[in-house]
Amino acid sequence: MVKVDGYEVPEGFYYSNDFEWIKIEGDKVRMGVTDYAQKQLREIVYAELPTAGAQLKQNEPYGTVESVKAVSDLISAISGTVEEVNEEVLSKPELLNEDPFAKGWLLIVKPSNLEAELANLMDFNKAVEWHQNQAK
Amino acid sequence: MKASIVARRIIVIGANASGVEAASAARKKDHTAEINLITQEKTAGYSRCGLPFVIGGQIPAFKDLVVYPQAYFQMLKLTLKTETKVTAINTKEKTVSTLDKAGATETLQYDSLVIATGADSFMPPIKGREKQGIYSLRGIEDGEKIAEVVKNGAKSAVIMGAGLIGLETGVGLIERGLKVTVVEMLPQILPQMLDADMAKMVQEHLQEKGMSILTSKAVEEFAGDDKVTAVIAGGERIEADLFISAFGVRANTKLAVEAGVPLGETRAIKTNGRMETDTKDVYAIGDCAESPSIITHKPMCAQLGTVAVRQGKVAGANAAGDYSQFTGILASAVTRLFEIEAGATGMTENAAARARIEVITGAISSKTKADYYPNAKPIKVKLVVEKESQRIIGAQIIGGEEVTQRINALSFAIQKNMTVRELAKADTAYAPPLCETWEPMVLAAEMVLMKLR
Repeated sequence: MVKVDGYEVPEGFYYSNDFEWIKIEGDKVRMGVTDYAQKQLREIVYAELPTAGAQLKQNEPYGTVESVKAVSDLISAISGTVEEVNEEVLSKPELLNEDPFAKGWLLIVKPSNLEAELANLMDFNKAVEWHQNQAK
Repeated sequence: MKASIVARRIIVIGANASGVEAASAARKKDHTAEINLITQEKTAGYSRCGLPFVIGGQIPAFKDLVVYPQAYFQMLKLTLKTETKVTAINTKEKTVSTLDKAGATETLQYDSLVIATGADSFMPPIKGREKQGIYSLRGIEDGEKIAEVVKNGAKSAVIMGAGLIGLETGVGLIERGLKVTVVEMLPQILPQMLDADMAKMVQEHLQEKGMSILTSKAVEEFAGDDKVTAVIAGGERIEADLFISAFGVRANTKLAVEAGVPLGETRAIKTNGRMETDTKDVYAIGDCAESPSIITHKPMCAQLGTVAVRQGKVAGANAAGDYSQFTGILASAVTRLFEIEAGATGMTENAAARARIEVITGAISSKTKADYYPNAKPIKVKLVVEKESQRIIGAQIIGGEEVTQRINALSFAIQKNMTVRELAKADTAYAPPLCETWEPMVLAAEMVLMKLR
């Protein structure tokens, strides 16, 4: 894990331009928002997530997160079918602030076109560079 | 599911304190609206209030003042158009015409329009004012120009105007090693914020730190050939390498006026409690708009960042179809100048007199920690109380520390119509390393009560 300008960028994740991360776990993918995103939004008080069975499409919104100051769409980093939703985040949205890459995960998804879509995401090195550019 | 109706179109002109706040509030209410933010500046979403502290070197770079990075606009789906000038507003057709840096023009349709055009530095009609080398400190680009003059070896500066920006910039320049002279037309510094007795304490501190302050002196002329090399103020000639105009700011209402949006009695854009102008679906917020004083209920244009964001939040919600009211202005403000903090809320004794309000005042000097505790710093609290109702209508505090939250507490007290009698009985906290047993605000209230007897 590195910190870029105070923002955590852990290894082993893929990152999207829309502030989301995915982690490949066997034939499933875990999804969430980045530390950068949660720090821009500040204290998140509400998360609206799809239910199991929902279809996600890469680069399309699937939910929202709302803080005292802001509200932002969640933009899916990949396409697939939602298998599991982090119910804990719905009742304790502060987990998104406290632990965005672990306890604050949002969805577990069965990807439909992972290999091709990974090309549109950033690996660790590219994500570090992206975070450095944001700091400029 | 796709919305079956056309998305609401919201345009915000101006993208700093109030503009970004309005756009954010609008997005919170309406997740699908098309929201455009248009600014003439290169940088959006930065803090003007921080500019003097970049000049002073406490903040390393101007870019550090950016509060809302590009990512913020992206996350909230706000379309930001920088270096784009709004050339006209058509309130009948509900359009805004723009001209960008490349010369391209565009006409955008709105359902709700928010005018947050801010204020411009004001330059009185002084002889020689067209000459080169007079700077003001309004935006990042102004700050960069001043920083450049300092970097190029300026040794001395004249600051015209002893308001918050003038003094904060003066302190910054002294910290950069310049010799600074402040020229103020009125007999005291910080005339909007403090009464003369309190201002004197600040002035003495600034003078001890090496700032030369000339009060009751109007700038009569800018001397020099093409470039200013001296000012003549009160018959005195003051030479310097850098001249900063801090006479104050005036609401930037040009676009609004041209579009027929009415101004109010302060010459800022007239608004109601929802921050709506007299023109349908047009809102105005921030330094270009007026709102009522909580005390006199008369319109005022405080031109403070906190007022701007509060108005922005209200206007943004209303512009997106929500309902929100702005509750008015007390003009609470604080600053730090070298080692002292000065703050005020509500009306000064002076302002009350102008408004024909009779007041009783009380001022108490105390310490910021128990008197016997090491490094206790002095603090002075002045209360302004309306005679008949005994309501607190204003407060000023000068101290070595702990001023801001006392000003906030007194602001709350005023907003809740607290009487001085209630404040004199207030329950407060105490521990020797943190404060005195008797809270100075409470002692000041007791002093007013004694005078009311």
